[in-house]
Amino acid sequence: MTADEPGRLDDAEVIRRSERAPEVFADLFDRHAPALRRYVARRLGPALADDIVSDAFLAAFRRRHRYDASHPDARPWLYGIAARLISRHRRVEVRLYRALVRSGADEIAEPYTERVDDRIAAQQAGLAGALAELSPGDREVLLLVAWADMSYDDVARALDIPAGTVASRLHRARAKTRQALGGSHPATTREESFDG
Amino acid sequence: MDEDLRLLREWRAEIPEPGQEWIIPQRRRMLARIRGRGRALGRRLLLVGALGAATALAVATLRPEAPAPSPASAPPVARLDSGVVLAHAAEVAGRRKGDRVPLPTQWHYTKTLDKQANSGTVTASEAWIRYDGRQSAAFDEGGKMVVSDVPPDPGDDDLSPQQYDAKLRELPTDPKKLLAKVTADRHWIDYPKEEGVPEAAEPDADRAYRVIMLYLSRYGTMPPRLEAAMFRALALVPGVRVEQGVSDAAGRSGLGVWMEGTDTVFRNYYILDRDTYRYLGTRMVWLRDEFIGGDSEPAFRKGAVWSTALLSSAIVDRPGRRG
Repeated sequence: MTADEPGRLDDAEVIRRSERAPEVFADLFDRHAPALRRYVARRLGPALADDIVSDAFLAAFRRRHRYDASHPDARPWLYGIAARLISRHRRVEVRLYRALVRSGADEIAEPYTERVDDRIAAQQAGLAGALAELSPGDREVLLLVAWADMSYDDVARALDIPAGTVASRLHRARAKTRQALGGSHPATTREESFDG
Repeated sequence: MDEDLRLLREWRAEIPEPGQEWIIPQRRRMLARIRGRGRALGRRLLLVGALGAATALAVATLRPEAPAPSPASAPPVARLDSGVVLAHAAEVAGRRKGDRVPLPTQWHYTKTLDKQANSGTVTASEAWIRYDGRQSAAFDEGGKMVVSDVPPDPGDDDLSPQQYDAKLRELPTDPKKLLAKVTADRHWIDYPKEEGVPEAAEPDADRAYRVIMLYLSRYGTMPPRLEAAMFRALALVPGVRVEQGVSDAAGRSGLGVWMEGTDTVFRNYYILDRDTYRYLGTRMVWLRDEFIGGDSEPAFRKGAVWSTALLSSAIVDRPGRRG
């Protein structure tokens, strides 16, 4: 990076420059690591998140010469690398969801929150139960959309799957979350609609 | 309809995006890891080498018959009596003319060659660093001189030319005292500070060798008597070996100094001119295949060589000048 350049380089250009000047990769880190860390911490907690973010950037650095420069935004690429690292901790993730369903206590959110009211707690337990039941691929798509704000195209690129597959996975995942929420939402619970 | 997504987005939304207090140490951790294991100095250039490896591998899959780099192309080496060589080096160095200490606003110019381990590509680079270390300069791809501020990196072990000079001036010229002082220098024990990289306990002899060779390879303004003392101190470090006929990236054959140790992956030579004993460059030879991460193909094959050469090193008045 030189001091006299106006404007901001896109991610693809930063990655290209890092091939000859590895230190430039720090710029990519500054841009994306904080949000990635938050995303992973939401799923696995802060300690594992630190390691995964670090491993993801190291892995990204090592394959930076294979980056497709036609994509100015490197976020899907980075989150795709992180997704593979997160999947190694599937059991930890699912255990945390199940613990919330059982005890009502969310180990991940607790250090940051005041007491949540009972209705919201019940909804969150429902979501956690649904996430625990989802297939890993469906869960990945749902969380990239909900927690990483990704479009279908972004998710397709991140996970290297066709956009149509993204759509069907998301559809399946949301059917489960809706069903789970239905159970705790008076207006839409099945019993009530049968009764009414 | 989107109630489920809304609720999901709100769940655990309190988890904050970390700020500077997280970014700074974690960025350092990442840089430490991409520079390679442990010591930042010297491994930095190898990163480009690793890139070359991957490119070469991609080519190799298309052309399976492409020959691997062969150690047979290197001339046969002969081991010398390191005590005799280093004593002679001390005599020659002690007769050199001393240099004047540069001004903080002068620049240290270097021209180096880098020969990649896998592709064999040779890259020449010219760089200027201001003597006080505050700015660096280089020509960009279009041939324009670009001067950049060097951001302070308090955890790095590298020093400005001026700080190196200050370190050298503190050293005694008695070889034993010099060795003791270098070995006990907290700077080379404590730095670089690398978040997330476990502290490795470095044996005293390894550190003494590493630091003395580092000083000898940066000879901007080395006082002759001190340089002589460094060669004599080096002779006191157990495990230091000297071989004849070791070539740098420019193909110049010289004396290869290396340290016998526990590293079974590489042998690292510092190459000295066989007449003047000036530092010429480095040569790193892979003693066995090296795998990076979980790759099934080695990134570097046994016998691969990564070498560098220092073609020019001079104190100049402004960036762009070459002496």
